[in-house]
Formats: sequence, C-alpha cells, structure tokens
Amino acid sequence: MRSTLRGRAVGFAAAALLIGTVAGACSSSAPAGPITIGFFAPESGFAAADGASAYDAAQLAVKDINTAGGVNGSQISLVNYDDASDAKQAVTIATKLATQDKVTAVVSGSYSDQTLAAAPIFQRNSIPMLAAYAVNPGIPATGNFIFQQDFTGEVEGAAAAVALVKDLGATKVAIVAIQNDFGSSLTTGFTKEAQALGATIVATDNNQFGEKDFTPILQRDVSKGANGFFMAQYYSEAQQYITNWNALGLHLPLVGTEGVDSTTQFFEPVGAAANGMVFTTPFNRDSTDSAVLSFVKSFTAAYSHAPDMVAATTYDSFMVLKQAMAKGTSPAQIQSGIAGTTNFVGVTGTIQSYNSTGEVVKAVDLEIIKDGAVHHYGDVTDPSIITP
Amino acid sequence: MSLDYLIVVLVTISIYAILVVSLNIVVGYAGQPNLAQGAFLGIGAYFAAVLSVRYGWSFWWTIPAAVGAAGVAGFVLGAISLRLREDFLAVTTIGLNFVVVAIFQYVPFFGGAVGVYAIPLPSIGDHQFGNADFLAVGLGMLAVVVGISWYLERTWFGAALLAIKDDETAAAATGIPVAPYKIGAFVLSSALAGLAGALYAPFISAVTPTSFGFSESVVILAMLMFGGLGVIGGAIAGAVVLGALPEVFRFISDYRLLAFGSILVFMLRFQPQGLFGEHSAVLATIGRVVPRRLGRRDAGSGPGRGPASDGPA
Amino acid sequence: MEVFASSAVQGIVQGSLYALIALGPSLTYGLLRILDVANAAGLTLGAYVGLEAYSATGQWWLALIAGAMAGAVLGWLIQRLLYRPILGRGPIVPLIAGIGVFIAAEEAFRLVFGPYNRTFAATLPLPALQVAGTQVTGVETLILLIGVTVFPATWWLLRRTSLGLAWRATSQDRETAQAMGINIGRVIASIFVIGYALAAVGGVLVGVTYNTVYPTMGDIPAYKMLAIIVLGGLGNPLGTILAAMLIGLVETFVVAYFGFVLPRDAIAFIALILILLVRPRGLLPGDEVVQ
Repeated sequence: MRSTLRGRAVGFAAAALLIGTVAGACSSSAPAGPITIGFFAPESGFAAADGASAYDAAQLAVKDINTAGGVNGSQISLVNYDDASDAKQAVTIATKLATQDKVTAVVSGSYSDQTLAAAPIFQRNSIPMLAAYAVNPGIPATGNFIFQQDFTGEVEGAAAAVALVKDLGATKVAIVAIQNDFGSSLTTGFTKEAQALGATIVATDNNQFGEKDFTPILQRDVSKGANGFFMAQYYSEAQQYITNWNALGLHLPLVGTEGVDSTTQFFEPVGAAANGMVFTTPFNRDSTDSAVLSFVKSFTAAYSHAPDMVAATTYDSFMVLKQAMAKGTSPAQIQSGIAGTTNFVGVTGTIQSYNSTGEVVKAVDLEIIKDGAVHHYGDVTDPSIITP
Repeated sequence: MSLDYLIVVLVTISIYAILVVSLNIVVGYAGQPNLAQGAFLGIGAYFAAVLSVRYGWSFWWTIPAAVGAAGVAGFVLGAISLRLREDFLAVTTIGLNFVVVAIFQYVPFFGGAVGVYAIPLPSIGDHQFGNADFLAVGLGMLAVVVGISWYLERTWFGAALLAIKDDETAAAATGIPVAPYKIGAFVLSSALAGLAGALYAPFISAVTPTSFGFSESVVILAMLMFGGLGVIGGAIAGAVVLGALPEVFRFISDYRLLAFGSILVFMLRFQPQGLFGEHSAVLATIGRVVPRRLGRRDAGSGPGRGPASDGPA
Repeated sequence: MEVFASSAVQGIVQGSLYALIALGPSLTYGLLRILDVANAAGLTLGAYVGLEAYSATGQWWLALIAGAMAGAVLGWLIQRLLYRPILGRGPIVPLIAGIGVFIAAEEAFRLVFGPYNRTFAATLPLPALQVAGTQVTGVETLILLIGVTVFPATWWLLRRTSLGLAWRATSQDRETAQAMGINIGRVIASIFVIGYALAAVGGVLVGVTYNTVYPTMGDIPAYKMLAIIVLGGLGNPLGTILAAMLIGLVETFVVAYFGFVLPRDAIAFIALILILLVRPRGLLPGDEVVQ
C-alpha cells in the first residue's frame, strides 16, 4: 500500500516536472525590444562573485544607455543567461542567443573557457561579440566578429614588468601566478619584458584556485635572492598572499594585476596590509573623468558596493557597442563600428583602437595602495608594450 | 524554440548519455566504484584536440586515437582496481581526477593552462559539420555504446561481471578470471568515454583542463544513479533528465544547481534504485499500464534481463 | 634549518585542522561504511554561523559554540532524513546522495549569504608565539589547543564510554549489535551530531585563520577528507588523525622544498595512491568487516 502511494506521489511529481519543463523549454527569455544584446556570465557556481559583478554592470549599462536615449532612438534590452562556468552550457547559450533570441550583438561577462566555447558560434552567425574580461588568446583569434575588451595577459604582464623592474628597480624577480590562462599569459608577457629590461627571473611558481598558504613559496623566493615580486593572482588567493607577505615582514617591491581589482573582495579586507603594492588595471580610481565618477556613483548607489574591474570592463563593453551601433545595427556595421573605434573614452580609460585580431589597444593604468586606499600611480603608454 | 538550439542541447545530452552508459559497464555491471569518468572524457577530448589542431588529423582518425588513449588510461585504473577494493578504490578514482587535471595543466603536450582551442569542424568530403551532423554522430556513437552494453548483458563476459559484482571471491572460486575481466571492464568503459571525448572536442571547439575535473565525474555518476544503476535505459534516462535540466530550468536560472542537488537527493532518498531501477515507481507505473510485461518484470532479474541492483553492499 | 622548523610547525597546525575536520567522516565511515561528503557542508555552515555570531556579539568563543550547535543540528537532520532511510543500499547511493546534499547546501549558502568572500577578522585573546624560530599566530595556537583536547577526547569516547562501545559494536556488526539491545538510531544520531559539530568548529577556525568565508569553502575539504580517512585506514579514527598529520606535513614540506610543482590537492591524493599501493588497507587498518 505504502509503495503504491509513494509510487503515485513520484508519478505525480514526475508529471508536474514534465509539464513544467516543457513549458519552460518553450519559453524564450527574449523580451520585446528592437535592439537586443545578449549577455552571459557565471552567475552560479564557483565564479558567481565575478558573474554577479558582470551582470550588475551589464544591467546598469543598459539602463544608462536607455536613459540617454538608447541607440539611434531605439531602446535596447538585455538577454541574459547564466553559464554556471560550464563550457557545454556556453555552447547551448550561444546557440540560443544566435538562433532563437537572434540578438544583435553579444557581450561575454564570462571566463575564458566559456567565452572560448561560445565565440565560434557567434562568429559563424556573424554576431559581434565583445569579451569583457576573458583573456585567452584564442578568443579574439576566432574571427573578425570577436573582440577582446580587456588587455591581453601578455600586454598586462609586460606593463607589470615595466612597473616592477623599471620603476621599482627590481633586478631579481620571483613570480607566483595562478594556474590558468590568465596567469600563464601574464607570466609570459612579464618574463619577456623583464628580461628585456635586464632583470632575471629567479623563480616561477603556479598555484591552484583556493591556495591559502604562500609562506613556503615566499620563503623560498627570498632565499633565492629575489628583490622584487610579481603576484599574478585573483583576489581570494591574493588576500592570502598578502597576509603571508606581511607575516614574513617583507618590504620589497611588489606588483599585482587586475585580478585583485575589487573593492569588496580585496581592498576592503586587505586594507593597509597591502600598502606599497602597485598593480596593473584598466580602471583608474583617481580619475577625475566625469564618466568614471558617474559610473562609480550610480553603480554604488544601485548595488551598495563599489564596482570592480570586472564591472568596469563589462560596462565599457556595452558603451563601445553603443558607439559602434551609432552608424547602424547590421552585423557588418556593428563589426566595422567596433573595429574602427578610435580613442574611445570609457570608464576603463581611453581605448586607442582594436588591432586586426580584435584585441584592444589601450594604456595600462598603474595604481598603488597607499594608506589603505587605491591611488593612481602611473601609466604604461609605450606602444611597443601595449600593442598586443 | 529554434531547431538549432534544440539540436545543440540534444548533442550535449548524447555526449552525457555515451558517458553514462559506458560508466554503467564498470559501476553497474562489474560493481566497481568509478568517480573518474570525467577524466577519461578529458583524455579522449585532449588527444582528439591536440592531434587535430597540432598535427592536422581528420576528425575520423582522432576517434580511434581518443578511444585508444582513454582505453590505456582505463587499463591503468583497472590495474589499480586489482589492488584496491571498494571504498579505497572509490577515493582513489576521486584522486585520479586531480592527477589527470594536473597533467593537463602542467604537461606542455596538452597546451598547459591555456588549453587547446580552434579545434576545426569535422567534415565529410566537402561538407563541413553543422549541428545536425554532430547530433547524427552523437546518436551513432550512443547506438554503438548501447549496442555493446546490450550485447555484453547477453554474453558470458557480462554474466561474469555480474558475478564479480555480487561476490568476487565466489566468482573466482567458480573459475571466472576476475583480474582480466575487471581490467577489461575498466578498459571498455574508459575507451567508450574517450569516444565521447572525440565528439566533445570539435563540438565545444576548445578543451581546457578544468572542464574535466571531479565535478564533471560526479555529474556523470549522479546521472547513472539517478536513472537506474545497471539498466541501460536508466543510464540514458539519467543523462536525458539531468542533462536537460540546466536548459529546461533556465526560467529559475539562479536556482538550477540547487534544483540539481535537491532532485538528486530526493531521487536517491525515495527511489534509491533510480528511475528505472528494480521495483522503481516508474517501472511499477508502466507495469500497471502494460499488465503482461508486469508479470515478467516482477519475477526480478534473471539471466539475460540485465543486472539491476546497486553495487557491492 | 629554519625552513625545516617552520614547515614542521606549519605542517602540524595544518594537520591538526585536517584531523579535526576529518574526524566526523571517519567516525561516520567506521559506523556506517558511508563516505560522507555532506560533512563539509557542516564546515561551511559553521563558518557562516560563527561569523554571524561573532559579528553580533564580538565574542570568539560564542562563534565556536554557535557554529558547533549549527553543525550539530545539520548533522542530526542529515542522518535522520537522508542517510538512515537508505542504509543497506550499497556504498554508492549514500555517496552520491551526500554529494547532492553538499551541492544543494553550497548553493543555499550562496543564495542566502551572497557569492562574495566575507571577512572573519576575529581578535583572539591568544598571543602569537615563537616556536622553534617560527611564529605561530593566535588562531593557530587555538587550533593546536583544540586538537590537543579533541583527539584524546575522541580516544576516550571510543574506548571508555558506552557510546564508544556501542559505536565499535555497531561498526563491527550492526545486526548483532541491534539484537544485543543497542539503540542503533541513537548511536548514529550521536555520531553525526558530534562529527558535524567538529566540522563546524573546523569551519570557524578555517574562516578565522584565513580571514575569509565563502560558499564554496567546503569544496577542497570535502574530498580531501575522504583521502585522509582512506589513507588512515577506513574505520579507524586514530588512523585518521595520523593520516591527517601526515598529509599536513607532506603538503607543507613538498611546497617548502619544491614549490608548487604539483597542485597542493593533488599531493594529498598522490600520497594516498602511493601509500595504498604499498598498504592497500591504509596506514592503520580498521575493522572493515563486510556487513
């Protein structure tokens, strides 16, 4: 008797599930609106913090664009999907955006694995796509419709080398980099430029996500004579690195990257513990540019915390799209609009241009942490470095 | 719903189905715990990717290469399984995921942390693959795997695996060559996972180390347990339901993974035998609708029907 | 020499933390032959509850107690609602069910507390010590103190109390133990309550040590603890403590002398695989009599 009742309950639940799923499958999430921009980010799963940041910025960007009159008088709307950091979902999302929602253009607020998987689909369907912060070289190489909004890891690494070797005078450098394409391309760019500037790399180590103890590595690096440190990490690991750094009482030049660029996830928890650290980023906190100031203000007002690098580059991706669509919204027009971008002033500085592969060319901003706050330190503008 | 979108989702499901049906050989038939199927998918996918991108191999030739590479890795795991039993083996397979991902990350042959991208689309003659072609190949591969499993169930090898699952010592006592058969099960299961890998690589167009870690393996085993361990139809059902979940549940986008975990828990709590496992509610409902079949199913599992229980107790 | 000393100290601290977190799964396995991945959800829950308690009251010991209580409740619920009803279904069903719980729990934490890292800057009234030329921070001293208390207490529990006797009897032969009048339900409940409370305390300590609490903080412990309990010899909590210390030391020494040549988590599993090839039943084999 019990098993029949249970069987019925399961059967009923299964039927309800079936109906619900069929209904869900038939619904499209494309809202009405003449110009739709597709967007995907890791809004659940291990990268949800960055996904949330990117999605927040995307929504703000769309709102700001519409308040200012939209594109050529038409309002734009966002079609958003969560890829849960799964490359397979990126493929289904890209296919859906391209063939079902039929979006006009796409911004990827996602990591490299997912953006890499999605890019060929947009290229094949001639849908322009901007990768907000993913830096795998394979992405812009996919085709002429695919653009990279954030500087490549190699460019950023080279800029970091300029800061550490030229500005801060390090001659023997120890690199600790996160083990992924971001970390490895940063290492490549840094090593090349540092050696060109006359420094030697005494050690290169790669850690996994979630690493919490850098003390033995730092001790080894010091014993090898390192007098400068390049920290190619994201904020979670960087926080631990800085804690260990201070526990060891190190007072040596230290350069980080945009991976730490987050108010809530790095600058607040770490505070003055990171005093003296210089880092490369596209986002200038001391900027008096009205666009930057109003972006920071409205983002903070809407989301109760200051925007980070991921939010800033995502926001700018939409702004670049807006100006690219000024001349028309056909795929070819948008594509040439983006490719022809010249000296576009966004919240992440001035985009000089996009090169022939679709990689952005813009100066690398250097920020320093002083008295627990982030301040402008300098810029790397040498074309030989910032051109990918 | 656009046809392309539907086809792409079906390709994803068929890749999962290949992985789950092949995993069933080792977990469902031979009763050996294996939480590393994602690693074998990765080995197959990586070999296919590297050979295709760096050495210009055609897709069709990468298939046997992927199958072979994954099969060799399966042999290694099979050999390890001779020394370790049950839960020791289970945890070792968990560890295998991390070792394989580390190899993908650190060994230059596999492209390092950047992975291998720009994997070219397969082609037949002049025709380059479209989504429908991927689906055709995926279903074809699935048919092969299902066919092998179905055939296994009816051979001496399959019956021997069942005996090994039930009681290894007794099986050895009756003359079954346990060691070679166990290794054989692992080799077969892993090789077929490599088959899925050969399809995965050009379909996703890029392979990166962290796509093939422990969480992927967990999903595959979860699909098998959800659908019904030891039952081919169950394996496919698990892949279909849990594989479609992320897409079908997009209307509760933020809660999908929560839904996945909860559904898994509820299924295993109330129907631990899975959707199509022995005496499952689904089977009972079908049995009531088709009364004649009910009689034969109620007689329980016998030779030729296929194994349908849940691993070593 | 300095590196050796500091690695040894760090390794012992790390190992003590691992041991604390691995005890729950070890006791559960010994009792029920279940690999309990969901235990790591107790770790994360403890960290969040402890953080909230600390933020509300500023008392670190309240954080530990609140965390432990939350862990205890979770443990009780999981055994009562999930594991008990599916006993006897083989090892894979509870393993996957536990993983399902863990996945759902992590998502619940994200939905409730947000995906961002939160800081857990607790000031402990414990000074930083100098041991063998290395600095041991306040919270690390706390970890050692808790370890030094908990591990002998566990031994005492298992060897000198009626609960311990019931645990040993049930793990050897559940049916006979029941026939002998042992209340299996109560034993199971007690073990889960204790095991999850320990994990929760571990969670608070992890949160304070690294000044960070986030939804997926249980990911690494979830499977690393499995490696540790297997390495120690399934069914033997004392073997677990030994294995935990060993892994803590091996990880620290390998990284200190060779850098990050391998992912740190892979080190634990490689050590496991190598040792298992030599001793297939672990360091201190327990009584894994087949039920």
